Amino acid sequence: MRGLRLIRFIMTRLLQAIPVVLGVVVLNFLLLQLAPGDAATVLAGEAGGAPPEYVEQLRARFGLDKPVLVQLGLYLKNILLLDLGFSFRNNAPVLGLILDRLWPTLLLMGATLLVSVGGGVMLGVIAALGVRTWRDHLISVAAVIAYATPLFWIGLMLILVFSIRLDWFPTSGMEDVVAFHEGWARVVDIAHHLVLPTITLSLFYLALYTRLMRATVLEQRGAEYATTARAKGLTERAITLRHVLRNALLPVITMAGVQVGALLGGSVVVETVFAWPGLGQLAYQSLFARDFNLLLGIFFLSACLVVIVNIIVDVVYVLLDPRIRVGGKT
Amino acid sequence: MRLVRSLVVVAGLGLTALSLAAVPALAQKRGGTLVQITQPEPPTLGSYVSTANPVGQVASKIYDGLLEYDFDLKPLPSLAESWTVAEDGKTVTFKLRSGVKFHDGKPFTSADVQFTFMEVLKKVHPRGINTFAEVTAVETPDPQTAIFRLNRPAPYMMAALSGYESPILPKHVFSQGDIRTHQNANSPVGTGPFKFVEWRRGEFVRLDRNADYWKPGLPYLDRIVVRFIGDTGTRAAALEKGEAHIAGFGAVPYNDVKKLEKLPNIQIVTRGYEMLSPVVELMFNTKKAPFDNVKVRQAISYAIDRKFVIDNIWFGFGKPTNGPISSNFAPTGLYSADVTNYNVPDGVERANKLLDEAGFPRKADGIRFEITHDITPYGEEWRRFGEYTQQALARIGIKANLRYEDVATWLKRIYTDYDYDMSSNHLFNLADPVLGVHRAFHSRFIRPGTVFVNGVRWSTPHTDQLMDQATIEPDAKKRAALYAEVQKIVVDQAPLAWTHEISFATVLDKRYRDVIVSPLGLFSSFDRAWRE
Repeated sequence: MRGLRLIRFIMTRLLQAIPVVLGVVVLNFLLLQLAPGDAATVLAGEAGGAPPEYVEQLRARFGLDKPVLVQLGLYLKNILLLDLGFSFRNNAPVLGLILDRLWPTLLLMGATLLVSVGGGVMLGVIAALGVRTWRDHLISVAAVIAYATPLFWIGLMLILVFSIRLDWFPTSGMEDVVAFHEGWARVVDIAHHLVLPTITLSLFYLALYTRLMRATVLEQRGAEYATTARAKGLTERAITLRHVLRNALLPVITMAGVQVGALLGGSVVVETVFAWPGLGQLAYQSLFARDFNLLLGIFFLSACLVVIVNIIVDVVYVLLDPRIRVGGKT
Repeated sequence: MRLVRSLVVVAGLGLTALSLAAVPALAQKRGGTLVQITQPEPPTLGSYVSTANPVGQVASKIYDGLLEYDFDLKPLPSLAESWTVAEDGKTVTFKLRSGVKFHDGKPFTSADVQFTFMEVLKKVHPRGINTFAEVTAVETPDPQTAIFRLNRPAPYMMAALSGYESPILPKHVFSQGDIRTHQNANSPVGTGPFKFVEWRRGEFVRLDRNADYWKPGLPYLDRIVVRFIGDTGTRAAALEKGEAHIAGFGAVPYNDVKKLEKLPNIQIVTRGYEMLSPVVELMFNTKKAPFDNVKVRQAISYAIDRKFVIDNIWFGFGKPTNGPISSNFAPTGLYSADVTNYNVPDGVERANKLLDEAGFPRKADGIRFEITHDITPYGEEWRRFGEYTQQALARIGIKANLRYEDVATWLKRIYTDYDYDMSSNHLFNLADPVLGVHRAFHSRFIRPGTVFVNGVRWSTPHTDQLMDQATIEPDAKKRAALYAEVQKIVVDQAPLAWTHEISFATVLDKRYRDVIVSPLGLFSSFDRAWRE
């Protein structure tokens, strides 16, 4: 019965998501029209100039000579057919360009989520268990510093120390382009390249989760069910790990859901510093090139991902806390 | 009855160059990978549809041209073994090299030349549309001969036949389908020393050695990998660590160049930009007061301390100038130093005097008038140059407010809307003034919507006519005289204030030799580069 209801819930949410995603697409399309200059101008500018015949040729080919509403209509029609269009600047279909970047993005995102949520929960619990001891102070101060330091600075400092001085890690990239390893050697090589960007990107969220976890654990430990458990004679340790942790995780899961959306676009800085071939950089470059087909494609995909992640978060809620029901009162 | 005196250029010159390369003066070794940093990542590898700088840095390793050039900008044989220009300048005959194969194994013939120029470069190449406008037909009497028929003489064309500027494409690949969106743009097939293997977007392009290259024994390197690293600090770190080996054109900012120069494993090379020759200019909106007044423009040119700008903003990588044509053209005679010299010690006094004469006296607060100066959005040094300009103008009583926008917005403002007072830019002279200089102040190039042309909207019938004559004048001396006069007039009229020639700095790992061996530098094929 519960499984069936869950499936119905997911289907409803997916259906509800369609107008949301379409709304995002239309809004993005219209917002982008406000940016002055177009792809043809930028292409010609990068080329160091071009005759007007050439620029006109480009505009006609890009469909930029049509009225905005016609362009929007065409775009919506294509989106409904799941055709993301062609990036004239990159001379390649948008879908392929995005998919190429998707797995490095997911890799970095997954590693970051793992480190930041895992580490944050652990440090938060340790701090809460030893509240107002040296452990708590150390963790809290470190969290504030990590929270306040700009990402690019952390990235460059890590490169300076761990790559140039100590020579433990490569400066940048996703794999060794002189050796071109294959098989397991390649997996190891990529993991090796993944370390510094993951640490850089994780630190901020790690700090965030640590503080959040510490606060909610402290709050939950004062709750009545914890008092009951204490009255039963359970140890503090057992109360925290068995009862408090599960409840305290809910806000962290909510934050993590939000983080996924932010990670998609917000990792531009880390991707740039470490030359990581992710979606953030692609979006950033396509904005400055006014490559709107590509940019809209990335927005579309991000919107879809955020919707999916939100549904997953809701489902995880249910699994964590049986009191929460899906699909409202029935 | 006109006798056709053929200017035969014997292949000897080029053969000497080739054999010199083959003589093991410094025992060249086979093998090794060169990692080149190119910034930003090219949008495409189709150098026949895009002249964007990063495209050329990659594609020039894959495609050959009919000709190569030495540091004096003299042509050398490449896919063309020899060539003759008819006396009237309207017929150019190329003898093509035999036994050359494309990367897919198919032979290179005159049909490929015909296709490349008539169907591709003349139609879709951003500069080729102009460069080859006079070419009416390419005849192919046999597979090893290509005859160019011209409407009018076009001496500048001979400077635009490198593998970077005019890449020779295989007809059997590119003649099918629309050339503008051809799928092989990003999996190129050429005759060059390196073959395209893979392009992983956001990461690298991998090029492997072409074992069947037509130059015997070349190339020396096994592989070139072009990497894309978005952050300037990381680029410098990768070079410092030896993960990457070469980076040019502002990919490493000058302050980092100065730091890297001190490392034992790195050298800085400033050669290899002679066929590009960027010249920095201040642009005035000459259709708008007060810049319609020649004295105001001259005054501002006097106010710029060129040496200060070069030493403090470009870290010494530059050369003061007054005119539009780069001194790199001195060997060809097209550069003239006989122009007004604005770079004088008493520049500020002269500027103040000119502004008084122009009818802009200082008011009570010491300000003559107020303008907006648009900073060129190309990075650090341009921002500082804008700030310097603001200070220099303040010294002569002009209050300049700075504005900074992104590239697309700025291009539109300057070259489409003409909605500006003053800005700055740098135009590449390219291989010939016809290709790189005319566009800045010929009336034909006052075209809204076209970027990097006559955005100052200044021209005179006289200078137009001089440039038109120089365009078709086959005699080098007469041509030089025409350009000398053009330079004298435009420098005096100052529709733009040319301040300095930029020297780009290439950061190069010392283990790699013979990398920069042509005036096209990073735009050349690296066929002779080798690793110690």
